[in-house]
Amino acid sequence: MAHALREKAAISGVGETAYTRGTPKSGLALQLEASLAAITDAGLSPRDIDGVVPYFPGGGIAEDFIANLGLPDLKLSVFVPMGGATCVAAIQTAAMAVATGVCKHVLISVGRTGYSGARVSTRLQQFPQFALAAEFEAPIGMFAPAQLYAQGARRHMELYGTTARHFAEIAVVTRQHAILNGNVVMNKPLTVEEHHASRMISDPFRLFDCSLESDGGAAVIVSAAGRARDLRKPLVTVMGVAEGHPESPASIAQRPDLLEFGLAKAAPRAYDMAGLGPRDIDVAEIYDCFTFTVINQLELLGFCKKGEGGPFIMDGRIGVGGELPINTHGGLLSQGHVVGLNHVVELTRQLRREAGKAQVEDAEVGLVTGYGDMGDGSVAILRRAA
Amino acid sequence: MSTTPTTAAAPERPLPTPTRESRPFWDGMREGRFMLQHCSACGKARHYPRPVCPHCFSMESTFKEMSTGGVIHTWTVCHHPFNFFFKASAPYVVALVDMDAGVRVNAPLRGVAEGDIKISQRVKLGFEPVTKEITLPFFVAAG
Repeated sequence: MAHALREKAAISGVGETAYTRGTPKSGLALQLEASLAAITDAGLSPRDIDGVVPYFPGGGIAEDFIANLGLPDLKLSVFVPMGGATCVAAIQTAAMAVATGVCKHVLISVGRTGYSGARVSTRLQQFPQFALAAEFEAPIGMFAPAQLYAQGARRHMELYGTTARHFAEIAVVTRQHAILNGNVVMNKPLTVEEHHASRMISDPFRLFDCSLESDGGAAVIVSAAGRARDLRKPLVTVMGVAEGHPESPASIAQRPDLLEFGLAKAAPRAYDMAGLGPRDIDVAEIYDCFTFTVINQLELLGFCKKGEGGPFIMDGRIGVGGELPINTHGGLLSQGHVVGLNHVVELTRQLRREAGKAQVEDAEVGLVTGYGDMGDGSVAILRRAA
Repeated sequence: MSTTPTTAAAPERPLPTPTRESRPFWDGMREGRFMLQHCSACGKARHYPRPVCPHCFSMESTFKEMSTGGVIHTWTVCHHPFNFFFKASAPYVVALVDMDAGVRVNAPLRGVAEGDIKISQRVKLGFEPVTKEITLPFFVAAG
């Protein structure tokens, strides 16, 4: 029996601001600018939005959307507090809302001044999810995600022989894709040598293994599949979507397997719901807070075996034109950091064949992940409707 | 109005704020004892401290002094000081250790050269008082 949510929801509109380092705009203004772009893209009016899932904490809340967009009858306002896993997990929440008829069009949005506003080291201290790290790990000098996730990366290297060369491959290919996109923070080519020469942040992560602190906004509208069919753009259907929460969710240190997190639970459920598997995926947008995180997720998604993610991404496999193009927009590493909602925007454009120079030929089915909050995971499988 | 040159205050070390759950752990650290929370019903150790045993759901627990020995599970070398307090000590190694007591502890590893660190290497937890109230853990190579 088909899963109750399969093909019930669609991505009907996507929007972004310019991705920059430095802006006079507020995070809320960026979020609303991207939201209006997504609404226009869908061919809707702001008045049609009757559900909101804003990124939280940081950014606008339901009251801001009603006040700015004049929403006449908002029927759903929820937060999905999963850090970098929020944006893709929010697709599940939104799909449930439109499939049940609670809402017609749900707006998922992010606006962030990660460069010109509060930086990562101060921002995270406000998260309740980071309270354990604040008590037990910050005092001994471990606080930033770059430090906490570095220990998992080091273990992968020691157990499986993964190397900095593998990390560099992710950084370099992602940069090539950013240059194809154009609306990106990092628009100059990057070489493996430049990656290796960049300063160490928290070993084994160098500067070019880390995602950007940037300013920008992104938005996505999820509509009931039947309604979306009548809108402006080609139908992009939600085939499967799931979120997953790891053991020891607030402390990586206490997790039995540092390399096994929420996505390990979410991926089989999303594939099952979609009735599709890794071999059906034409293009994948993988949450890339760090280069290594991409390698780790490809393993949990079943594209390769555990420990084989390093060799898997080599030899042109993940570039546009390769067997499994990844992060065709430049990702968080080179395009901009809007907590991965730009990954959903890009996957939608790929499946609509609107991805310009980075277009993956004949892209029919794509996958997008979210990853955050010490290991929460989310994944959506989207398909271009015939 | 004259402008007075000001000196930036020295950055403060981030310190734990013991909670009702974690206070026995931090009290133990201050006394140089590695105290771990154990379920009174099923006996399993848990860390970090919390109200309910996730194995048997008992809310009764006691803290017991445990061995300070363990083996390295993984590590990182922190170069960029995300908190200015750590700028002077960077780069520093933080080892994640599988304690013999069955939980993990993350703490600075001292006296081992970066190139000599290995998974499964034996280490021992030490106690470093940083305020009257708070003592923090660190590791050194064992035996």
